[in-house]
Amino acid sequence: MTRAQHPWRLITTLGAPPNFNMALDEALLEIGGAPTLRLYTWQPDTLSLGYFQKYAEVPGVAQASHVVRRITGGGAIHHAGELTFSLTTDLSDPIYQGAVPRSYERVHFAVIQALGQVGVRAKLRLDDSLASDQAATGMCFHHSTPLDIAWMGRKGMGSAQRRRGGRVLHHGSIKLATTPIEGAIATTSECGPCTEPADLIPHLCLAFEQELGMRLERGVPSPAERELASRLEPRYSDPEFLRRR
Amino acid sequence: MRPNDRKYSTSHEWAKKDGDTIVVGITDFAIEELSSGNTSDLVYCDLPDLGRILEVGETFGEIESVKAVADLNAPIGGEVVEVNSSLEEHLEKMAEDPWGAGWLVRIKPSGSEYDELMDAEAYEKHIAAPH
Repeated sequence: MTRAQHPWRLITTLGAPPNFNMALDEALLEIGGAPTLRLYTWQPDTLSLGYFQKYAEVPGVAQASHVVRRITGGGAIHHAGELTFSLTTDLSDPIYQGAVPRSYERVHFAVIQALGQVGVRAKLRLDDSLASDQAATGMCFHHSTPLDIAWMGRKGMGSAQRRRGGRVLHHGSIKLATTPIEGAIATTSECGPCTEPADLIPHLCLAFEQELGMRLERGVPSPAERELASRLEPRYSDPEFLRRR
Repeated sequence: MRPNDRKYSTSHEWAKKDGDTIVVGITDFAIEELSSGNTSDLVYCDLPDLGRILEVGETFGEIESVKAVADLNAPIGGEVVEVNSSLEEHLEKMAEDPWGAGWLVRIKPSGSEYDELMDAEAYEKHIAAPH
């Protein structure tokens, strides 16, 4: 797919605190600044609940070092051994025009191209059944839909969106390794040399530029985004928010 | 053409006068965007408490499809006097009958914002334009 290229800000924060990760994404959604691709990892490892998930229906919360609730939907994710990305932009952006599933197809196609560059033969699940599907764990990687990305017969990427005020926040988690909470899911490290986020980042950036029409320019959050993020941070692990359902 | 017995917001809610109250729902276009025609893709809808006072444009609820959470915005200001609690067990009504059984809330308006909403013809043009 060839697209006219538009400037996107690239913010990379590896090893960032979990509440900061979630709060900065929400601030980027709310402030409405430049279209932004964030690439990040989590320190410590963190289990994030989907916005509408019931806390009691995710047994894995007891095993993670930290727990937050996302503002995006979907199932719980144990953020360890993964590269997380977020896309925040206006819904008028060509990537997000049309029905929600079409936007997943566009983004997932780009991710599949990037994974191919590190020896991972990923594809959309479509009508396949996956060995990683499990009942009653509440985990994103144990539940699949046709547009999910899989390889070796297991789900290897989780994704979810939040749409608010004409804007969209799109989360993606690409698994480099697994954890006892998530068990036998697909990981890049079992397919070749991609064992660290830095192994995948340049390929993901290039694929987003080529397939999604981004022209990435390194940047940092604006003062207004930082200020809002710092105000939002505490809520993400506030017991009332965590157990809202 | 969508029903012309009601008005529409730019964020895809509809508002229909019923006596001195206004019934609010979301359009088939919004549902199609979220679910791509698959009614089982809608998984949760969070609606406000009775008696809540809404300002025009305020987020009054949230809807989750398999792949996205989206806000529901009040097309008019006023008091929530009824909530469609049947959606809790039958969310598919929103997709199957968005103009009728899939309504969300009934609002007693506090102002005249209804008059400023789009009619069906203007809404058709709105969704036909790039957005």
